[in-house]
Amino acid sequence: MALHAAIKGKLISVIGDEDTCVGFLLGGVGEINKNRHPNFLVVDKSTAVSEVEECFKRFMKRDDIDIILINQNIAEMIRHVIDGHTSPIPAVLEIPSKDHPYDASKDSILRRAKGMFNPDELM
Amino acid sequence: MTELDKICTVLDKLTLDALTLMEEEIQIKLNVENAMCGGETHLAKSRYILGQNSVSSLQLPTENSPDFDAVTTVVGEDDEELFGQKARTLEVVKNEEQIDPVRWFGYLVPQDLYHSQSMFKQALQWIIRAVNVQTRLIETCGKIEQLKELKKELLVAK
Repeated sequence: MALHAAIKGKLISVIGDEDTCVGFLLGGVGEINKNRHPNFLVVDKSTAVSEVEECFKRFMKRDDIDIILINQNIAEMIRHVIDGHTSPIPAVLEIPSKDHPYDASKDSILRRAKGMFNPDELM
Repeated sequence: MTELDKICTVLDKLTLDALTLMEEEIQIKLNVENAMCGGETHLAKSRYILGQNSVSSLQLPTENSPDFDAVTTVVGEDDEELFGQKARTLEVVKNEEQIDPVRWFGYLVPQDLYHSQSMFKQALQWIIRAVNVQTRLIETCGKIEQLKELKKELLVAK
């Protein structure tokens, strides 16, 4: 798998609403590998939080995935898992969606960085 | 200049870097939002022309579809390195076997679907930039943490 990934570049996976997934798959990031595992998950009203969490963890374990794109409102559902991910690979990027504009105050990385500028921390 | 002063100077510089990177990341994410918004508008127009369920997740490949490779992947740039990790860049590989994802939605698709595709490709370019900035931000924050620990140790030793 590692050799396979090294030859053809790594994947961008998407966890998002219908339009986000359709759009980025139109952009060419979608893949279904030989084990029949897709690199995307369409989240709708009927998708359980546990399903999203499980999918996110599965993407984190795959060594052919370099970037995980997740809609910010979906990231909110599994915030505890995203906060616990500190490794630079795969990079987790929170992106806005049609119904939820980007809110920097909710972004895990920016919140972590902002936390360092507390007056107590700066001393 | 004592060791403590040197650490404080580096900390000041790193803090400024972190703030600049945070601002840059927010700006790039807003650009991603604009590109996605444009792409979604064109998707909506295509949906209006082709029908409600003709441009939806129903057309996306499923686990039962034949396997296919991604056209757009991420590679590390050889010449640019971020704190030991290579800066990412997009790579578009097109083989004869790979079909254009637009074909999932039919052979006579409206131009809006192509416009949507190009907007999402643009969003992907912004996303790669955002990921590179985010990686630099994480590394900068890590360095700040280390220097703060060192500073604390020096202050305790004093």
